[in-house]
Formats: sequence, structure tokens, C-alpha cells
Amino acid sequence: MTENNTILSIRDLSVRFSLRGRVLHAIRGLSLDVHRGESLAIVGESGCGKSVLNKNLIGLLDSNGFIDEGSIRYYGMEKDESAPDLYGQDENGVYADLAKFKKEKDWLRVRGKEVCMILQDPMTSLNPLKTIGAQIGEAIRLHQGLRGKALKEAVLSIMRDVRIDNPERRYKQYPHEFSGGMRQRVVIAIAIACRPKILICDEPTTALDVTIQAQVLYLLKELKKKYNLTVIFITHDLGVVANIADRVAVMYAGDIVELGMAEEIFYDPRHPYTWALLSSLPQLGVKGEELFSIQGTPPNLFTPVHGDAFAPRNPRALKIDFVERPPYFDVSPTHKARTWLLDPRAPKVEPPKIIQKLNSEGGAGA
Amino acid sequence: MLKYLGKRLARSFITLLIILTIVFVLMRQMPIEGYFPNFDKMTNEQIQNGLALMGMDQPMPVQVLNFFKNLFLHGDLGTSRIYRNNVPVTEILAPKIPVSIQLGSMALIVALVVGIPMGTLMAKYKGRLFDHIGTAFIVFIQAVPAAVYYLFIQLYGTELLGISLIFDEENWVSWVLPVFSMSLGNIAYYAMWLRRYMVDESTKDYVQLAKIKGVSSNRIMFTHIFRNAFVPMAQYIPTSFLNTVVGSIYIESLYSIPGMGGLLVDVVKKQDNNMVQGIVLVFACVGVVGLIFGDLLMVLLDPRISFGSKGGNR
Repeated sequence: MTENNTILSIRDLSVRFSLRGRVLHAIRGLSLDVHRGESLAIVGESGCGKSVLNKNLIGLLDSNGFIDEGSIRYYGMEKDESAPDLYGQDENGVYADLAKFKKEKDWLRVRGKEVCMILQDPMTSLNPLKTIGAQIGEAIRLHQGLRGKALKEAVLSIMRDVRIDNPERRYKQYPHEFSGGMRQRVVIAIAIACRPKILICDEPTTALDVTIQAQVLYLLKELKKKYNLTVIFITHDLGVVANIADRVAVMYAGDIVELGMAEEIFYDPRHPYTWALLSSLPQLGVKGEELFSIQGTPPNLFTPVHGDAFAPRNPRALKIDFVERPPYFDVSPTHKARTWLLDPRAPKVEPPKIIQKLNSEGGAGA
Repeated sequence: MLKYLGKRLARSFITLLIILTIVFVLMRQMPIEGYFPNFDKMTNEQIQNGLALMGMDQPMPVQVLNFFKNLFLHGDLGTSRIYRNNVPVTEILAPKIPVSIQLGSMALIVALVVGIPMGTLMAKYKGRLFDHIGTAFIVFIQAVPAAVYYLFIQLYGTELLGISLIFDEENWVSWVLPVFSMSLGNIAYYAMWLRRYMVDESTKDYVQLAKIKGVSSNRIMFTHIFRNAFVPMAQYIPTSFLNTVVGSIYIESLYSIPGMGGLLVDVVKKQDNNMVQGIVLVFACVGVVGLIFGDLLMVLLDPRISFGSKGGNR
């Protein structure tokens, strides 16, 4: 993996929200590199900061949230000479620091064209009063500058790309004439029409039923290849992850606790939270036995977190887990985890049986 | 669409018939003393003669039928007895209706032209100075009794414009103050609801998606949010027009405008049956037409609403 393969580098990002006079620390010093052309899945339970993280990439953080430290370096944008302080240069080349973007004028250079996003609920993410054609067309007109007949042609071709049958007729229809799955295709078409370099999919299949889920995921894979996209998936559905992701980042309480190739995360997880997450998969449950569930609740992010955020819910926690925050330990060049268990001085702790089983299956498979 | 309109009009016509019948029958239940200015001095015979002259000695269904026969065959609403003795109702109303309708229409236009941009800007600058000023205005208009500021407008407005306190149909300047006064309530109403609907809409997912697409917030405001926020308001506009016309009693009396705003109350008090029926008919027509327009407007603005019952929409 060469260095200039990085399209996005998030460094020590810290995001806070002020809520009724108190401050919530939603993202706690998170670092993550995203590689050009990969599909990265960010998994974690509700409220761990997945969506907050991604809203930062597109400048849609709620107005009471703010970045107080760190940078989001995006390599792939030309420098805007009128605002030179938003840009910088490092070992990967010229970057735009999205963490410094404040004005709408600056964000309009990023949104759509560089980073685009697919929202969770297709039933509400389309304007009910505009035709599908007009809504896809708006994106094309903005980013590709087409007008009139050429615009319509471009819209129809995108509609074909996302497999909407009979696009000429569908073009003139309104969102209420589409089913949920079809609407999600329209939303995807709008995102693709912007020609983004990074496509963020915020739980794109959660609101759809299982058969449609599979179709939409397949479509996304196809489009990723065709348009050479870098895709970031936010999900808590590990089935989706296994289906589509090259790399997986496991998030817990505003930080990435484990990061690795999909096979490494599924077959050789190292962080106790990843163990717990995988153990609670219904597919791994044994018939007749109660399904595993993680005890306790995520930490209160209004108060500072000491040590490993997962320690209070972790039956295998070490004493140091409650005192000091673990650094990342490399498991392989592509796999790292933030747990003291990987420290050479740590006692040998066996992962749960279910994980050991996965491990041996993966080993046998490889 | 034409078929729907036809059906709709036919139904409205029946509604009008029902309204008129009910009003007609109710008015006939009033004590007969009211029909004669000098009832105390009349003999029983004179009273019976008088009633017979008005056709009121006949059974109720016959009276109703006669009323409708006169209305549809001769366009005759009867004659006024007390308001202006022996003058046909149509003759009394004819000059008054256009004045009221004109005043009402102008007030409505002013309210739309001022209220809609005001609501839009308040939503756009939500929580900022303009929003606060607008909110203060709305609260003032809604909380202070209209009579208070109507009087102020009349006293200081006429002085400022250098015109007489009394309305003069020929002089356009004298239209300004009544129209302005009449539109104030609706300006506040439109601005308040539009702001509210726009603020609601702006948190919707489709607005988020438009932002993600890279559409500027000004464009989103006008091309996405405004239309969505305007749909729920549209259906009330014709109704508020009606309210403006009916509710102009005080303004019409302040400026001595020869409209029909105050007329209804007046003739009800005087128990002038034929006049009441005539005015109710006019108001009911305006109301029914207003409702039809409101629905038409909704259909034009919102593709999810369609004519007829089997639109096939979810």
C-alpha cells in the first residue's frame, strides 16, 4: 500500500456538542485513513458516533456540534486560492482540511462533487413535489452543467445505471409513485449523478426489506466499480459488512477500537468489543441457547472517559483498562486494535468460544 | 378533471340549496311581532292580512317552494320589509357586493404580497433580528384588539395622507387605509404559518439530501422548501378571503364604506327575513367557491393529491 493511495485522512479528530449547557464529547481523538477506491465499513452500535463522524465530511454537523481538535485531510481537491488557509500539504500531497471548512461557500465546493451521501430512509429523502427527473437533473445540472436535451439524456442514462425500468415514463413521475426500494435507487442515482469521489452510505439498507437490501447492495457494488468510487458504509448490520466491505472499522464510544481487513475482523478479532459484537450475531447463535447480548450501556459521553471506554462492560477487562486508554497495537500491517490485551505484558486472555470457532473456520478456509 | 369539476359544482349547488332552506325555515320561526313596525297598534285582522300579503299564511313547504321558484325563475330574492321598506333585496345588495368584494380582494393581494415574503424571510433568518421583529409584529396583531389599531390607522393615516375620514369610492387614496387595515390580520396569519411550515420542512430528509447534492441554501429555500410549505397554506387562502369580506364590519363602519360587511348583523337584528336570506346566499356562494378554489389550488400544487376518488395513491 503506497502512501499516495490515501484519499482521506482523519487525524486526532475530536467533536463535541453543547447540549443544555453541558458538553458531550462525541468523537474522542479518532484517526482513520481511507484509501482510494476501497469500500470501508464503519460498524458500531447506535450512538457510537458513526453518523457524526460522517456528517463532518460533508459539513452537515448539527449547529450545536463543533470540531475542537484534529484535522480531516481530503486529498483530491484543487486548492481554492481565495481561501488558502483551508489547505495544506503533507507527505500525501496537497490536502483540503475539511475540519476548517466553515462557510457554506466553501462546503459547496465539496458537497456532491467530492463527497456525496446516501441517507437511510428513502421514503423521506426525496422532495414529494418534484418529479424524479427534476431531482436527478438538479444534481447533474449543478455538477456537470448540462442543460435541456443533454440533461434529460444524462438523467435517463443514470436511471438506467441504477436499474430503473422504463426510465422515459418514470422520469415524469413523482416520488409517491415509487416503492421504497425504487426510491432508494433514485436516491442512489442522485448521489451518482453528482459524480462524487467519496460516497458515504449511511445505513442505506436499514429501511428496506431483506430481498431489496440484497439488490441495493449489489447495485452499489456495481456502481462503485463503474464510477470508481470510494465508498464508506455506516452500518450496524454485520451482514451488510461481510457482503460489501474491504476494510472494517469498529467504533465504540466515539473512537475506532479495531481496524482491519474484513477477513481479519471477522475471523481474527482482537478487541473485546469486537468479540462481543460478533458473538451477538444471530447467525452465530446455537439453537436452544440464549443469544449473547452485551451487558450494560455505552458510557455517558458527558463525563470524561478514563481508560478503555468498553472496560466497564467487559468481563475480561484488565485493571489497567480502567486507568489508562490503550494505544493501538498492530496485529498485522493492515490490522490494529486499541486494547491492552495485545500488550506483550498482558496476561493471556482467551476470546469467547464462539470467536475461537470463527477463528479456526477462517484459518481452515485460508 | 372537467368531470370532477362538474360533480363538484353540482354538489356545491345542493349545499347552497340546503343552506338556504335551513335559513329560510329558521327565519320563519321568529315571533311575528318583528314583521310589523307598529305591531302593538294593529288589529288581529290587519296582522292576518299582512301575513297573507307576505305569503306567510301558507304551509312551510309551499313557502320554501315559492321562494325557490321566485329565485330561479325571476332572480327575485323578495323585498325588504324593514331595512328599506318595499325595495327589492337584489336592488339593495347590487351596489354593495362589488365594493366589499373589491376591498376584500385588494386586502387579500396585499396580505399575500407582504405576508409570504415576510414568512419566508423569517424562516430563512430564524432566530435572528428579522425573525424577532416579525414575531413581535405577529404577536401584536394577534393580541391587540383590532379595533385599537384600526382607530389609530384611521386617525393618523388620514391626517398623514391628507384625506377625509370618510371613504370616497372615486378617490383611490381613500382605498389605501381600509385595504391596509383589512390586510393586517392576514399578513400576520400568512407570515406566521408560512414561517412555521418552512421551519418544519427545513428539517426534513429531502432538504438534507439537497444540501448533500451541493445545492446552496438559498436555492433550497426557494425551490424545495417554499413549495412544500406553501401547499398546506394554499387551501386556507380562499377561506381567509371570505373571512376578510365578512369580517370587515368594523372597518366598513369606521370609514362609512357602503359595503355589506355590517349588513348581515343589522338585518338579523331588524328581523328582515328576505334581506337575511339574500346576504346568506351571497356569503354561502363566496364560501363554496372559495372551498372549490382551495381544493383546485392544492391539486395544482401537490402531485400526491388528485381529482376524483380513485387516484391510486398511497
